[in-house]
Amino acid sequence: MIASAFEIVRDNWLLLLIGQYPNGPLGGIAATLILSVLGIVLAFPFSVVVALARLSRRAVFRVPATVLVYVVRGVPMLMIIFWVYFMFPLLLGASVPGFETMLCTLVLYEGAFLSEVVRAGIEALPAGQMDAARALGHSYPRAMWFVILPQALYNMLPSMLSQWVGTIKDTTLGYVINVPELTFAANQINNRLLTKPFEVFLILAIIYYVVCFSLTHAATVLERRIAKRRAGPVVLDPALAAAQ
Amino acid sequence: MKGFDLTAILSNPEFSGMLLHGMWMTFVIAVGSWLLAMSLGILLLVVRLLPSRIADGAVAAYISYHRNVPTLVQLMLWYFGIASLLPDDLQAWLGDHNGESIFAIIALGLCQAAYFSEDLRSGLRSIAPGQAEAARALGHGYIGAMRFVLMPQALRNSMPALVNHTVSLFKNSSLAMAIGVVELTQAVRQVDNESFRTFETYLIASVAYLVCSLLIMGGGALLDQHMKAMGRAEP
Amino acid sequence: MIRFRDVSKWYGHFCALADIDAQVAKGEVVVVCGPSGSGKSTLIRTVNRLEEIRSGEVLVDGQNIHAKMPGAQLNHLRSRIGFVFQSFNLFPHLSALDNIVLSPWRVNGISRAEARDRAMKLLQRVGLGDRAHSFPAQLSGGQQQRVAIARALAMEPPVMLFDEPTSALDPEMVGEVLTVMRGLVNDGMTMMCVTHEMSFAREVADRVWFMDAGRILETGTPAEFFSAPQHPRAQRFLAELRSR
Repeated sequence: MIASAFEIVRDNWLLLLIGQYPNGPLGGIAATLILSVLGIVLAFPFSVVVALARLSRRAVFRVPATVLVYVVRGVPMLMIIFWVYFMFPLLLGASVPGFETMLCTLVLYEGAFLSEVVRAGIEALPAGQMDAARALGHSYPRAMWFVILPQALYNMLPSMLSQWVGTIKDTTLGYVINVPELTFAANQINNRLLTKPFEVFLILAIIYYVVCFSLTHAATVLERRIAKRRAGPVVLDPALAAAQ
Repeated sequence: MKGFDLTAILSNPEFSGMLLHGMWMTFVIAVGSWLLAMSLGILLLVVRLLPSRIADGAVAAYISYHRNVPTLVQLMLWYFGIASLLPDDLQAWLGDHNGESIFAIIALGLCQAAYFSEDLRSGLRSIAPGQAEAARALGHGYIGAMRFVLMPQALRNSMPALVNHTVSLFKNSSLAMAIGVVELTQAVRQVDNESFRTFETYLIASVAYLVCSLLIMGGGALLDQHMKAMGRAEP
Repeated sequence: MIRFRDVSKWYGHFCALADIDAQVAKGEVVVVCGPSGSGKSTLIRTVNRLEEIRSGEVLVDGQNIHAKMPGAQLNHLRSRIGFVFQSFNLFPHLSALDNIVLSPWRVNGISRAEARDRAMKLLQRVGLGDRAHSFPAQLSGGQQQRVAIARALAMEPPVMLFDEPTSALDPEMVGEVLTVMRGLVNDGMTMMCVTHEMSFAREVADRVWFMDAGRILETGTPAEFFSAPQHPRAQRFLAELRSR
């Protein structure tokens, strides 16, 4: 079984890595990573906007943002993919390939979830920060931009890294609308070989595991480094000092 | 495009029947996997608390696998991969007896068990250390302290996280469509194919999902409030 | 009742307790006082083995509680020692009554009805008969500590230990807890009490132990200790207290 697994990887590594490129669209791991990076990079500004809207005192901003977040939290991502798949061509008048549909869904979905993280990050800052900024004469938008957001976002870096890992896992749903990412590539291999499904899907699971685990580990290291920085210089134990 | 007409779906017995059946399958998968996930999650936590490095490592590996591999891939590995390793007559039996649903419940349940177990573990860790001391000072053994003092508090403390992951579990039921289970999302596609009323069908299903998720979140909030009224551990 | 024989405890290179040799006779009330970090809490916590010791013996009613023994035996010994914590440590998920009922019922094995009876009587004794069904979050600090004392008494221990029972209380609630403790003294309970309440010590203690840097520097009756302390450290300590 292990031998056949290595064989499969050896024979199909290119397909797993970049899909059918150049004979087709870019696929495989490359597509998964590009899709997830684009997704999270675009979702980020969207999430900040949604978070600020939710915190706004004006209902015209607050209500739609809150509705969006609750809908995304309550409806499965697959349903949202189908909605986007259906609505996109209607709104744009032309058919939209799977990749762009998936990207749009990711931005919407991850953006809504990320906005909750941003909102929590903003609310976690001591109220005194905003007070101090306003007392110095900054307007609300300026205080947000120069004082609140930089701090909130720095604290959120580890969360955002784990959100990226979550996005990578969510890209697998693109399989259902034939987006040529890694899971799709694995299914292609399986459909060709037919006799070794366990090996194929085990390889698929291992690839995802390695990618996600390394990124999650990086996030943990980052979190520790940030916590250390925030804790300040080490305080000597007075009892220890007294004993010497 | 025909005008917006919900009744075309709702009052049509064939279509509403398909949607209702889809909702039923979603319910079966969600409840089945939740029960599996909760019981396994508690078991994993208990095993992890054993004074054995092997136990701790094994559970940590289990959790690491289920958190880093996408749920859809886990589902595929079970249904396409592991199923193929089973003896032929078992495979045939499963094929006749809703094998897809069974594998869906197993895969989704095993996956969420990892999350539930971590939630309960955080709940346990967030209990003030004085609680365990007080229990031991009164003469309770390890099991007694766990049973009467620590576990009840761990459950209360982990409620918000457990509720969130329950909603995730419920939404994950839609992934079962990828292995052929006709739950609500798949039923929606089938109804859409036959009725061509995409917007109405999608809307009905989305509202159904949303209402259920909100009910779970609301129920969880109520439970949380009830427990807060009875008091949480002051650190 | 309690005997410390050459007890010492180290945290790495830091000496928490050094050569403690003392005893509390049956029916005696001993108050342990001293500056912060002197080891008073550590000492009292060695009596029911919430803290381990490096060398020596701590005998409670003739038995060395730090000897190697099966868990069940240690649990039994602990159930015979009443301990009241500075932070009360009431079980928040149980009502006041249930907090008191739990251990006699589940550890000592008496019937639930009998435990309930005993609990109600104890609640009345500490002046909280009408709050039996309140939860700790609904009780004030002073009330919680009185319930905690009742909880310890419910096990009918021959000795009661108090680790700074009033230090976490607002000043106006200290009195109600001291009243309960005075009641116990009048009933002849053997007590070891770590406290900063000097007036209480003067009033009810049979002996006062003064500790600093892990050692008992001076012992004496309250009259002796408070009017004419011998050790210079004790003199400084009392002078500081008086100047406040």
